[in-house]
Amino acid sequence: MPLKLYLDNPEIGTKFDAARAGLPGADKDWLSALRRGAMGKFIDRGLPGPKVEEWKYTNLGFLVEFLANENFSARQVTECQAEAKALFEAAYIDNIAGPTVVFVNGHFNGGLSTCPGGAGVKFAVFSENPDVFRQGLTGSEPVSPLNELNRAMARDGYHLDVDAGVTLAQPIQIIHVATSGTEQQSQRMRAQIRLGAGAKARLIESFIGASGVRYWSHLISDVDLAKGAELAHFQFQRQGKQAIHMTEQHSIVAEKAKFSHMSLQLGAEISRTELVNSFTGENAEVELRGAYLGRGRQAHDITTRINHDQPNCQSNQLFRGVLDEGGKSAFQGKVVVAQDAQKTNADQSNKNLLLSRKAEANIKPELLIYADDVKCTHGATVGELDSDQLFYLLSRGMDEITAKSLLVEAFLAEVFDEETDEILRQKFKEKTAGWLNTGGTS
Amino acid sequence: MKEVLDKTTFKENVMLEIKNLHVVVEDKEILKGVNLTIKNGEVHAIMGPNGAGKSTLSYAICGKDGYEVTKGSVFYNGKDLLDMDPHERAGEGLFLGFQYPVEIPGVSNMNFLRTALNSQRRYQGEDEVSAVDFLKLIRARAKELDMDPEMLKRSVNVGFSGGEKKRNEMVQMAVLAPSMAILDETDSGLDIDALRIVADGINRLRGPDRAALIITHYQRLLDYVVPDFVHVLANGRIVKSGTKDLALQLEAKGYAGLGIAENAA
Repeated sequence: MPLKLYLDNPEIGTKFDAARAGLPGADKDWLSALRRGAMGKFIDRGLPGPKVEEWKYTNLGFLVEFLANENFSARQVTECQAEAKALFEAAYIDNIAGPTVVFVNGHFNGGLSTCPGGAGVKFAVFSENPDVFRQGLTGSEPVSPLNELNRAMARDGYHLDVDAGVTLAQPIQIIHVATSGTEQQSQRMRAQIRLGAGAKARLIESFIGASGVRYWSHLISDVDLAKGAELAHFQFQRQGKQAIHMTEQHSIVAEKAKFSHMSLQLGAEISRTELVNSFTGENAEVELRGAYLGRGRQAHDITTRINHDQPNCQSNQLFRGVLDEGGKSAFQGKVVVAQDAQKTNADQSNKNLLLSRKAEANIKPELLIYADDVKCTHGATVGELDSDQLFYLLSRGMDEITAKSLLVEAFLAEVFDEETDEILRQKFKEKTAGWLNTGGTS
Repeated sequence: MKEVLDKTTFKENVMLEIKNLHVVVEDKEILKGVNLTIKNGEVHAIMGPNGAGKSTLSYAICGKDGYEVTKGSVFYNGKDLLDMDPHERAGEGLFLGFQYPVEIPGVSNMNFLRTALNSQRRYQGEDEVSAVDFLKLIRARAKELDMDPEMLKRSVNVGFSGGEKKRNEMVQMAVLAPSMAILDETDSGLDIDALRIVADGINRLRGPDRAALIITHYQRLLDYVVPDFVHVLANGRIVKSGTKDLALQLEAKGYAGLGIAENAA
């Protein structure tokens, strides 16, 4: 039996019940029933404890206290409009003429948004149109306790449905902003992304938040790609320094479809990025790339799972971490190749650079291979900067910070270099470049 | 009062003054009292058997970690070099040509050199070079030293042959235009064409306000770069100094012939 962290404070249930009544869609029977049921399951199951394999490196003990003290009295967004706008502008990527969807403190903000639309594109936000989310929320598959909590308490989110054969010319930017008024508050969000057969879309999701406040940003996304569809998902995580950041994404990838993910973790005190991918047809592809940079009290956790249930599919994972004084990371990469999934091609690579003796990187590759005609590789390393390379740069006149930055950039280059979109590639590089200089999260 | 007088003398003609330098590497004393004075416009060569401490001398001057100066002083244009970080020494105009240039995957030659040049310019209180001006500068220097411009786009020294790496050192030197170049066995492992390029690179930077210290195991580089003085380093000390004729004597008679034991340490 896995250890659970019980929420033994009876007031928590009462408090959450009261808060639920104020959520969007509380008047809808199906949603109220779903929320009630999910909350019951969450309370019953508790939070996963440290003995639960998937949570080996991120101890959720702190959430018990967070939930007990959660503050539901969200301020009106109008009170923080100027701050929200400034944060939005810091996250917004110019030169991309696509639609933009903005959530401020977990609430959809119509004023800052230009929602996607046009022929073959259906877009909705949860707070305005919860019914659109019904089908995706009422699946019979068991979900994680944190997913239950999110289901029970999600306030907002987005739903994107692209018809078969439609290609979105411009990427969609989704920007999540957390202002300084969010102490002890949660932003629970749902996302549903569905691409019809042969549809193509790109999504750039940015998280940005104020430092000095402890808030919890929790996004659960379901991705469903039909035959031959292609989704490229980019994430820039620049939450405030005390934030808790969690994303959990489930992708279902049909025949000849391709899901690609590229992410950069710079912010938050605790971040957890969970990517679960399943193939439902042959000749499909999943590509996961990411970089995480941590220092001080920061801890980044990347947990991936690839279910190779179909033959002739391909998965590539490439993650790079840079940890300075006090920074910690965990990479858990699980690849399961079923007995019938012959000709699977699965690569996994995770390398970490420690800039200080007081940094820590944990790696747990897990390959479970039941088929006998497959090509699966994995590589994992933890190392330090090469002192000869460093001296070479210093001897040419670069100060230590500049020299180290250049070497860190070079170490991370592999993650971003193959991105063909020049603007995005530069954006990823730019955000990582200043990391050593600033000592901050931007 | 004496100190003030010394500094005045420095300004006039002495570029580098090393006095009684002792250096310890991994608990072992490698340099045991080196004295050397290099004046503006001079080219000095240091020769010596393997293990004499030649590379240690160059690393200690440039401030590599792990090369601990336990005694003595190094002044450069009147400033105490040992007080400075390695990048500050470079900013003051010191350049080290490496015996084994380091490979840096993921950093393009171009980006590397531009960052280096601009770091030095910032240190000297000058404006950074614009991307366009830099491109012109580096292309011109690469052309002078016969380097394929495509190599500028490649990662620093990655996949370069021995000769290409040394040529790259010379291109870097030409771009950074140091007042004092220390070349640590830059000639080792080169064929005659590469040797000429290296020599050419050094000769281009000769001038009344510049100086060079060439560390070499063999005499042949000195056929192309004629030194003003030649010193023999053995067992952590300079045991013999002379003009270029000393190099020729060494070539003819070997170290033993001049009464210098190989691997004396």
